[in-house]
Amino acid sequence: MAYSDKVIDHFNNPRNMGSFGKDEEGVGTGMVGAPECGDVMKLQIKVQDNRIVDAKFKTFGCGSAIASSSLATEWLKGKTLEEAQQIKNTDIVQELNLPPVKIHCSVLAEDAIKAALADYQKKAAAKTSSGSSQ
Amino acid sequence: MNQQPPSSSRDVRMARSMCWHCQSELAGEYFCERCVKVQPVSKDMDYFTCLGLPRRLTIDPSVLEANYYERSRAFHPDFYLNKSEAEQAISLANAATLNTAYRTLKDPIQRAEYLLDLEAGAVKTIRTSPPADLFEEILELQDTLDAYRAGSPSSEQGRQLLARLQHERESLERRQQELEQELLRLFGEWDTLQDRGQADEQSRRERDRLLKRMREILSNRTYIKNIVNDLVESIG
Repeated sequence: MAYSDKVIDHFNNPRNMGSFGKDEEGVGTGMVGAPECGDVMKLQIKVQDNRIVDAKFKTFGCGSAIASSSLATEWLKGKTLEEAQQIKNTDIVQELNLPPVKIHCSVLAEDAIKAALADYQKKAAAKTSSGSSQ
Repeated sequence: MNQQPPSSSRDVRMARSMCWHCQSELAGEYFCERCVKVQPVSKDMDYFTCLGLPRRLTIDPSVLEANYYERSRAFHPDFYLNKSEAEQAISLANAATLNTAYRTLKDPIQRAEYLLDLEAGAVKTIRTSPPADLFEEILELQDTLDAYRAGSPSSEQGRQLLARLQHERESLERRQQELEQELLRLFGEWDTLQDRGQADEQSRRERDRLLKRMREILSNRTYIKNIVNDLVESIG
C-alpha cells in the first residue's frame, strides 16, 4: 500500500510536534489509543478567549496516525472551541487521501481532538467554580 | 403446521437447517444424513462449536488438535475429486473456516480476543478508560528512542541512552509477562463462572468485570508489545 504525498509530507515534516505542560494555563490534553493496533496519540490545545492559539501532538504509531494528528493540530490553530468540535474524521480522510485500512487513524485523531476539548472544558469549569466560591 | 406469524429470523434458521441438495431437514453437523452430501458451515457457528469444544477459555491443546485433524480430514480436497463442483466448493470453504478456527483458538491471546468479540459484540462496546500513565510512559520512551537514534551510539550520551532503553525494555517485557499470567488466571475464573451457569445479578456483574479486565489486559498488552518491538528493532 502506498501512502499519499500528503501523508508522506506530514510524516517527514510533522507540524507542531511536542507538548505543553499539562497544568499550564489554558491547556487541554487529549490522550487516546487504538487497542486494535496499539497506536497512542496525545494531542494538546492551548486556549485563549475561547480560541485555540496553539496545538501540539505526540503520536506513537504508523505514518497515517502521525499524519492525521499532525494535520489535526494544523487545523485546530486559530479555530474557536465550537469550530474545533466540528472537525470530523472524514475531513482528515479526504485531505490525506487515506485508504480504508487507515481510516481508524483519522478516527483516533478525532477522538483526540474531542478528548482535548473535553479536558480543557473540564478544567475551565473547575476553575470558574473554585473562583466563584472565593 | 403451527400458527406462528412468519418471522424473517425464523425463515433464515429454517433455510440453514435444510440440506442444500435433497432439502431434507438436517440433524448432523456437516453432512446430510439422508443424501450424505457435505453441508456448508453455518455462518452463525462460532469457532468453538465448529471444532466441537465448549465455549471455555482453557483449552486442552491435544483435544483441540485432535478435533481439528478429524474434521479437516472430512473436508480434505482429495476426497472430493470425483464429487460435484458444489460439493468441492463447500468442502474447500469448510476447510478454510476450520483452519481459521484452529489458528484462532490455538493462540490464547487470539482466543481471548475472539471470545470477547462473541460475548460483547464489537470490541468497542466494552468500555475501558485509556491507560493514561502507560501512554505517557510510551510517548516519553519514544522520545528517548528518537534521541538515541539521532545521536552517535558510541558516544557517552549514546551509551547512557542505550542502558536506559535496555532497562526499560526489560521492565516492559516483565510487565507483558505479568499481564499474560493475569489473563490466564482470568481464563480460569471465566470458565468457572460459565460452568456454574447461573444467571443471577451477581454472576452478571462478575461476567462484566471479567470481560472488562480481559479487554484492558489485551489492549495494554498490545500497546506494550508495540513499543517493545520498536525497542528491539533499534537496540537489538
